[in-house]
Amino acid sequence: MIQHKSSEIPLITLVGPPNSGKTTLFNNLSGSNYKTVNYPGATVEYSLGKLLPKFGLKANLLDSPGIVSLVPNSPDEEVSIKSLFSHPELGTPDIFVITIDASQLSRHLLLVNQIKKCNINFIIALTMSDILNRKNYDVDQVKLGELLDCEVIKVNGRTGNGIPELVIRLNKYLGSNGIKKCNNTKIPKFPAEELIDVFKKNELIESQVIFELNGSKLEPNIERANRQLKILVNQKSKIECYKIDEKTIRIDKLLLHKSWGLLFFLFVMTLTFTSIFWLAEPLIVLVDNIFGFLANQSLKLFGYGWFGDLIANGVISGTGSILVFVPQIIILFLILGTLEDTGYLARGAMLIDKPLSKIGLNGKSFVPMLSGFACAIPALLATRTIPNRRERLLTIFIIPLMSCSARLPVYALLLAFLLPPKNSWLGGFLLAGIYIFSIASSIVIASIVNKLKNRLINTIDNSSFILELPAYRSPKFRVVINNTYISTLTYLKKAGPIILILSLFLWLITTFPNINTKIEAKGLNQEEILRITKTERLSKSYAADLGKILEPVMTPLGMDWRVGISLIASFAAREVFVSSMALIFKVTSDENTLQSSIVTAMRDAKLEGTEDYLFTTSTIIGLIIYFVFAMQCLSTVAVARKESGGWRIPILQILVFSTIAYFLTFIAVNGLRAIGLN
Amino acid sequence: MRSASQLKFGEKVLIKNIDSSHPSSRRILEIGFTPGQEIELMNVSTFNDPLAFSIRGTLIALRRNEADCIEVE
Ligand SMILES: Nc1nc2c(ncn2[C@@H]2O[C@H](COP(=O)(O)OP(=O)(O)OP(=O)(O)O)[C@@H](O)[C@H]2O)c(=O)[nH]1
Ligand SMILES: [Mg+2]
Repeated sequence: MIQHKSSEIPLITLVGPPNSGKTTLFNNLSGSNYKTVNYPGATVEYSLGKLLPKFGLKANLLDSPGIVSLVPNSPDEEVSIKSLFSHPELGTPDIFVITIDASQLSRHLLLVNQIKKCNINFIIALTMSDILNRKNYDVDQVKLGELLDCEVIKVNGRTGNGIPELVIRLNKYLGSNGIKKCNNTKIPKFPAEELIDVFKKNELIESQVIFELNGSKLEPNIERANRQLKILVNQKSKIECYKIDEKTIRIDKLLLHKSWGLLFFLFVMTLTFTSIFWLAEPLIVLVDNIFGFLANQSLKLFGYGWFGDLIANGVISGTGSILVFVPQIIILFLILGTLEDTGYLARGAMLIDKPLSKIGLNGKSFVPMLSGFACAIPALLATRTIPNRRERLLTIFIIPLMSCSARLPVYALLLAFLLPPKNSWLGGFLLAGIYIFSIASSIVIASIVNKLKNRLINTIDNSSFILELPAYRSPKFRVVINNTYISTLTYLKKAGPIILILSLFLWLITTFPNINTKIEAKGLNQEEILRITKTERLSKSYAADLGKILEPVMTPLGMDWRVGISLIASFAAREVFVSSMALIFKVTSDENTLQSSIVTAMRDAKLEGTEDYLFTTSTIIGLIIYFVFAMQCLSTVAVARKESGGWRIPILQILVFSTIAYFLTFIAVNGLRAIGLN
Repeated sequence: MRSASQLKFGEKVLIKNIDSSHPSSRRILEIGFTPGQEIELMNVSTFNDPLAFSIRGTLIALRRNEADCIEVE
């Protein structure tokens, strides 16, 4: 993928403070679709792209995580800053494009001051000047360039304004081969004592380049003269535009209210999780119907033999069991995306910092944990914004307990079993209940691990919470929908192939070697023949041989090896549980929908060798509890290893969570039976 | 000597000094809390901690113990 270390193509790196518009600019220049979010710390990983051909400049473009200063605040930040100057794969960039928020000049110029001392080429892309304009102010980019002694170009990555000019400047630097790569870039020391002077200087610059717009368009020279006057007048007094906008202040009076700010926050979270179920329900039924129909048709088309079984139960049910839940996942991403784009998440982090710090976490753990409800993998990456190592490791530790979207299909199936049909409002509440239960459990587990302190996670450093609260904005639906589309596609690409391959593999081991099963068919109708054939075939299959090993583990849970096989399969990816249940239990599909046909088959299933029902209220609740705790996803294990820098955390996660899952399931099933709830 | 954590709502004061012995003091300076700047306490979260200040036209949330190292006039 990356073959240009030898610098035939120049490398441009985007650098800048958090939330200054790097990713927005990156997407515009490279035609990529990375996520842009109104939360400082949205980007945590470097991403590489190429300048679009339309710009007529061949160059690689690198997006970077936001940094406040070149002096790192945490080990993660140190790695990130080092890679800015010397990327492990791409080497030293030919030029930096520093994005600076025009409405926060005096704060953001700090980074420019520091980069200036690093012997590297750079130009400044001034973003968000449209925000200044709306407040009736503007910034003089020429003057700013003179004062800073570098190129400054106003850009807006959202509308594309200024981008051509930026590319022309870049071309001037890079295209003519006139650029000399700076070989001896190094980051000097920046003593803290100098900071105050740097800021003083920047305030002076700020006051010289910001000017008030007069409602009517003035002639440039009059405007200039006017500005000069303004500057004289404004030199010492405060510039009016550097006020937080009134709307944000008013909204925060409500949402960050001292007494009910937190209550409102909890309300928003509950609403988010219940609506995932409610809003998605009709869509799920639709997709489910389509796949149920397809499975039925293919059985009719290919006959009820092994081939029909492969197509209907292996391929279609396998694919269906992934796609059925896409609506829920889309809605989850839509809601989270909307929340992210408003700017509320940073407030959420602030509101919950105190409670989280009591259990050894940090307010900054909130956003990673919340994204853990979509998928643990981006959530684990997002923990890089937590500066304190101990808090970061603890957050990594509990993220797999967040109810990720891969569990949705499983819960939906199990809840469908528990509930009378067509009772989706109760389903919404029960699902919210499972979410709350999983959150509560992760709190308990985090506080226990925190108590065990240094034995499990042995690092201590300064715990801190410093977070910029971005101005509220009405969410841009184009952006939200785009982000949702990308996330859903990523989910499908990641989960799809694994699930399909595993479903086929499961079909093989549950069908072979006894593929041509002969049974006494006298006096039986078609459906009974099918059922008995299937049972017979399954009981002599490779899966059964494997399953017998699991039997002693499953019996205490009131279940048999067939559920055991599905649980084992779900270790690769949780959703596989559903397709595996379909493969093992489903015979025909008289029902219209995939889910209800699995549920019907589950209602009929008997515990092997007995006349007792396999799936009862107690075993289903047991299974739900199992899925709340078990550490099942292989990719999560791999990413947890990488992000925590060793095997310690993932191994602990597997041991601790799987043990808890097994024992709590055991207690739940047997406890419920003891009180008479079968 | 008062610190930023003791401000009342709506009270605008100038920062006098940042206590450099606090481990977060450097980041607090870097994010814009420098002596001479005006700050105002804007919001307090439910458990009285963290606090949100307005500084240089931005809202920044800090823990109470971090606000303690910002000395104000
Ligand atoms: N009004 C306005 N908004 C912008 C502009 N550029 C970016 N934004 C918005 O500002 C927010 C932050 O933009 P990002 O591109 O995610 O910022 P970033 O620098 O990548 O942020 P981190 O990855 O967190 O460091 C997004 O909601 C953008 O839509 C601009 O020129 N004008
Ligand atoms: Mg970004």
